[in-house]
Amino acid sequence: MDSVDFCCQAGSIHGILGENGAGKSTLIKILSGVLAPSEGQVIFDGRNVAYRSTAEATADGIVCIFQELSLVPDLSVAENIFIDQPPRRFGLIDTRKQRQMAKEILARIKCEDVDPDAHIRELSLSRRQMIEIAKALVKNPRVLILDEATSALTSNDVQTVYDLIAELRADGVACIFISHRMHEVDQLCDQLSVFRNGQHIKSFAKGALSEAEIVQLMIGREITAQFPPKRDKSLGETTLSVSDLRWEDSLKGVDIDVHAGEIVGLGGLDGQGHKELLLALFGALHGVEGQISLKGRPYRPASPALSKRLGLALVPEDRKTEGLMLEMSIGDNLLLPNYPEVSKNGVIDGGMAKAAIEKAVALLQIKVGSPDHPVETLSGGNQQKGVIAKWLMLNPDVILLNDPTRGIDVGTKQEIYRLMRDLVDAGKSVLLYSTDYAELIGCCDRVCVMYDGRVVSELEGDALTEKAIVAASLNIHTEAVA
Amino acid sequence: MKFLSFSNPADRPLIIALMTTFVILLVGTAYTLTTQGTAPLFTPSYLLQQLQIGSFLGICAAGMMMVVLLGHIDLSVPWTMTAAAMMATTVGGPWAIPAGLSVGLCVGLLNGFGVSVLRIPSMIFTLGVDSVLRGLMVAHTGGFAPQTKASPLMRYLAADTILGIPVAIFVWAFVSLVIVVILTRAGFGKSIYAVGVKEGAAYLSGIRTRRVITGSFVASSLCAATAGILLAGYSAKAYQDMGTQYLLPAIAAVVLGGTHILGGRGRYLGTLLGATLLVFLNSVLSILQMPESYRQIIYGVVIITMLLVYGRGKQN
Repeated sequence: MDSVDFCCQAGSIHGILGENGAGKSTLIKILSGVLAPSEGQVIFDGRNVAYRSTAEATADGIVCIFQELSLVPDLSVAENIFIDQPPRRFGLIDTRKQRQMAKEILARIKCEDVDPDAHIRELSLSRRQMIEIAKALVKNPRVLILDEATSALTSNDVQTVYDLIAELRADGVACIFISHRMHEVDQLCDQLSVFRNGQHIKSFAKGALSEAEIVQLMIGREITAQFPPKRDKSLGETTLSVSDLRWEDSLKGVDIDVHAGEIVGLGGLDGQGHKELLLALFGALHGVEGQISLKGRPYRPASPALSKRLGLALVPEDRKTEGLMLEMSIGDNLLLPNYPEVSKNGVIDGGMAKAAIEKAVALLQIKVGSPDHPVETLSGGNQQKGVIAKWLMLNPDVILLNDPTRGIDVGTKQEIYRLMRDLVDAGKSVLLYSTDYAELIGCCDRVCVMYDGRVVSELEGDALTEKAIVAASLNIHTEAVA
Repeated sequence: MKFLSFSNPADRPLIIALMTTFVILLVGTAYTLTTQGTAPLFTPSYLLQQLQIGSFLGICAAGMMMVVLLGHIDLSVPWTMTAAAMMATTVGGPWAIPAGLSVGLCVGLLNGFGVSVLRIPSMIFTLGVDSVLRGLMVAHTGGFAPQTKASPLMRYLAADTILGIPVAIFVWAFVSLVIVVILTRAGFGKSIYAVGVKEGAAYLSGIRTRRVITGSFVASSLCAATAGILLAGYSAKAYQDMGTQYLLPAIAAVVLGGTHILGGRGRYLGTLLGATLLVFLNSVLSILQMPESYRQIIYGVVIITMLLVYGRGKQN
C-alpha cells in the first residue's frame, strides 16, 4: 500500500471498491490491528491509535468480518459466536446462557433455523458467513468492517445483512463495506471510495458517479460489453445427460442435459443441491444413484480420477481449501491433475512440465512473478484463474464450475466470462453454478433452477430474467408472479 | 536446483542441523584432545564407521519421511524391522533378502489399507500392526533369540567394505537416491506432498489418494525391512526387540531435518542431515563417557532446543 488517506464517519456506511490486489484488505488489516502500518497513523475518536493485536482493536469496538472464514468447524455455533468472551459462571463457561444468548443473536440475523448446538461443519457456506456476522455483532462494534462478507450469501441473507447494517448506522455505528457486487455497494453505502494498486483513487458521495464511471476508476481502463455475446450457432449433440440422479437427502431426482457448445447455468437458493450435483457428477460422492451418460456412453462417476480421464473437470466452490494447495508453488498446483501427461514411466519430464505450465499461464493470462512462487502470493482473481487453468491443461469436454467468480475482481470476472464462451464456441460444454443472478442471465444460454434437490424450472431466451429465476428459486410458478 | 541458503526459511533447519553436527564433533574433539591428546573424530575411519552404524537409522528415517509428508506416521517400524530380519534369517540362503523385503511389502500394504480405505488414524493402526507383528514373532521364536544366522549376502551388505568404504553406506545412498527421485521427479512424489497439504483438494484434483497413501506406507515398511535385514547382517543374527531403539530417532531425524510433522513440507536432504546429526550426537555422548541417564537427558534437550530454534526462524 502506498500513502493512503482515508476517513469515515460514525453513523454512515462507507463502501470501498477496487479490484483484488488494490489494497482494500491491507487497509482493513491495519485498521483492525492485524498489520502495523510501516508509516503514517490511524486516528480513532480523535485519538492516535496503534493497535498491536486484533484484541486491542476489538476492545475499542473496531470489529472486522474477514473474507476468509474464521470459524472452527468442529465447535458448535454458540461456541463459535462467543469464542472470545464466553459467558462465565464460577470461572467456567456457562453453556446454558451461551446457548440462550446465541439464540437471541441468531434471531436478530434471522437465522432462527440454525441450531446453536449444530457444528459449523454441518452448515452451508452462506449460513457460516451469517454466523461470522453474528460473532462480530456480539462484540458491540462501533466500527464494523465487512470484507467481502456478503459474497457467499444467498439473496435472502444479503437482504438481512443490509437491514442489519442500516439498523447499526441508525445507532451511530460506522460501517466499512467491501464488496465486488457493484449494485450492492451502490444501493447500500452513503460514501464510496475507490482503490487501485494500493492507492486511494477517489472518495465521493453515493450517486455522484455512474456505475460505468466507477468501474472505469476501479480498473483504470475502458471496458466494453460486460458479457460476451451468447451462442448463435445451433446446438451440438448432448454431451452430458443426467436423469433421476439421487444422493442421500440432497439430490432427489435431478434431470439435466448439457449439449456441446452451450453454457448451462444452475440457479437457485443456497443449499438446494447444486454443490452436491456438481460433486456427484465429478465422482466425489459415494452412493449416487441414477443414470448418467457422457458423450453417449453410460457413465458411473466412481472417483474424480476416473472422471478426469473421461474428460470432466470441476472447479470447486472454495478455491482456498478445495481448489488449490496454497503453500505449494504455482507450477506444482497447475501440474497437480496433469502428472500422468507430463511424465514418462512415472518420472516427470522437466521440459514437458515447464512447457505445459507456460502454456496454461499464457492461456489464462495469469499474472505470475515466477511459477516457483507459492500460489498464496497471487491475488484472489489470479488464484481462481489457476484453478481453472490446471483443468484446462487436460483439455476437458465438460467443465463443471461452482461459483467461479465469487470474491474476485471485475476485470478477472470479465476474462472468465470470455473464457467460458470461447470454450463452448470450441465445442465444449460448461455447467455453471453461480450465486450472482446477473451472471447467470448474462452468461448462460440456459438456466436450470434447482429447488430442494430437483431441477424445477428451465429458463431460456427471453424467459431468462432475474424475476423468473427468483420465482423459480422459491418454487413459485412464473405465471403467478407475472 | 539451488542448494542451501539461509535467506530461505525452508532451508534454515537444514543449515542449523548441519552446523550442529559440526559443533557436536568439535565438542567431542575438544574432549579427546584434553583427555588423550588425540583427535580421532575427524578421521575417515571413525566417520565411516559411524555412518555405517547410522545407515540403519538413516534408511528407517528415509521411509518414515514418506509417511510423515502425508501427515501420517508409521509406528510399526520396530517390529517390521525385527520381523523382516527374523524371516530373512529363518529362510536363509539366496532367498533371505527377498523374504525379508516381502515382509515389508505385506506390512506396508496392510498399513496402507487400514489408513486409506478403513480410514483408521495411522497412529493407532500402525501401533496395532506393530503389536500384532510382535506377537507373531514371539510365537515364531518362542520368545528367544532365533538360532538362525544371517546369510552371507546380508553379512556382506551390512558389514563388508568396498575400497575401504562400508557397503552399508552404499545401500543407504541407493535408498536415498530412490527416495530423492520419487520426491522430486515423480508424479507419485508430488502427489505425496499434495495429499499432505490438503487431502480433499488433492482428491478433487483427480489424484488417487488411496494409492498414494498406500504407496507411501509400502515405501516406509520396505525401508524398515531393509534396515532390519542390514541390522541382522551386521549382528550376524536377528534378535528380539532389535528395532525398538530405531523408532523415535527415525521420527526425530525426519522432524530435525525440517519436515513438517503435519505433512506437506520437507526435503529429503533434511532427513539425511537429521539422521547424521543423531548418529554423531549419540556417538559423541558415549565418547564423553557420560552415564546413560545424562546421555538421555542431553539427547532430548538437543532435539527440543533445535526445534525451538527452527520455530523462531519461521516467525521472522
